[in-house]
Amino acid sequence: MPVLPFVNTRQRQFEALVRAHSGELYRYAYWLCGQAALAEDLVQETLLRAWKGLEALREAEAARGWLYTILRREHARLYERVRPGLDELDEEQHAAEMAWSDPERQGSDAELRAAMLALPPKYREPLLMQVLGGYSCEEIADELGIKSNAVMVQLFRARQKLKEALSERSETNHGLS
Amino acid sequence: MDCLEFRRQLGAEPGRRDAAFLAHRDACPACAAAWTRAQQFERRLADALAVTPPPRLAERMLLAQATGERLARRKYLQRGLALAASAGGAFVLGRFLGTRDDDSESLRALAVAHLPGEAFALGLKQPIAVSAIEQGFLNRGIRLAASPPPDVTYVHDCPVGPYRTVHLVMQRGGLPVTVIYVVGHRNRAHDRFERAGWHGTVVPLRAGTLVAMAANPELLAGAVRDWRRSLDGPAAGGPLA
Repeated sequence: MPVLPFVNTRQRQFEALVRAHSGELYRYAYWLCGQAALAEDLVQETLLRAWKGLEALREAEAARGWLYTILRREHARLYERVRPGLDELDEEQHAAEMAWSDPERQGSDAELRAAMLALPPKYREPLLMQVLGGYSCEEIADELGIKSNAVMVQLFRARQKLKEALSERSETNHGLS
Repeated sequence: MDCLEFRRQLGAEPGRRDAAFLAHRDACPACAAAWTRAQQFERRLADALAVTPPPRLAERMLLAQATGERLARRKYLQRGLALAASAGGAFVLGRFLGTRDDDSESLRALAVAHLPGEAFALGLKQPIAVSAIEQGFLNRGIRLAASPPPDVTYVHDCPVGPYRTVHLVMQRGGLPVTVIYVVGHRNRAHDRFERAGWHGTVVPLRAGTLVAMAANPELLAGAVRDWRRSLDGPAAGGPLA
């Protein structure tokens, strides 16, 4: 006898999808938009769209990429409707949202997070896809509709900018002390 | 591969593992040192990006989906009513659909609608600690009068519609029995229902209401009896469900 006899196959497939990917989607959404509440809304919209279009998902292995694509589109739609003001994305707000992190991890991690959020989207997005999603350059290129070489350049520059930002902060801190 | 190409690839894709890339790393001490620094940076970056998702995120997402489905079904029924009215059959069908719609906010309907959002709980087989169950009730301001049943596999203080509840699952004869104890809302009378494949019973108990649901209606009486004993004390008995 099945464990959940009353739940149909589609529902079970969806539940498995949600349990497997919601945390990862949240992390991706959070770093795309920089706000915890908005990230949760994005994940919810993404999963509701996934539920409506579940028949389009043919292979379980493709689920992750499919969900990332939906989330990216939802994020783009969100920006078409409401473009958050710069004040919503400034470092102070971001620092306030870092309440989830361990006190011990404040400091250099917090600086890196602030630098990450300060990255222009064209650098941040491929970097997130690579670091959080494990995408290769070719996969990112397919997803973003740009050439693989361009992705490599963006990823290279993204890391350079992060390191530069950390280095500047480090120098500033030394100057203050 | 030369050093320039290696550094270009390292900066873009530090996790590469292709043979030419690794061969250059192993042959060039300066690039090997750069590779080590890059891996350290990647670990630091991965740690910094590891945001902890909100508690019970998956459950909340499933609840949103279940609620959306419920609303969609209601809209579908309302459209059916409108079509029936235009076809001249509104009276009979309207009564049927009107009853369904009015009932959708009832405690029994809300309790059944709550289940898909936490369907995973129905599959849990491992009994949980008595202290966890007691804490689940204490979170709602309720102290159990006696030990809870030994076969509880899930407890959570869930909101169900406007109600504050303690949601429990027990395993009986290989089947899950869901018990939702509604805090501070006492139903006027006992009630039984069958809905969406679930048999259920609604029982006023202490200052609240206990809703028990199972695929097999024969499991309900025992579950209610056990929870009456836990909530009211060992002396509690009598006809229950």
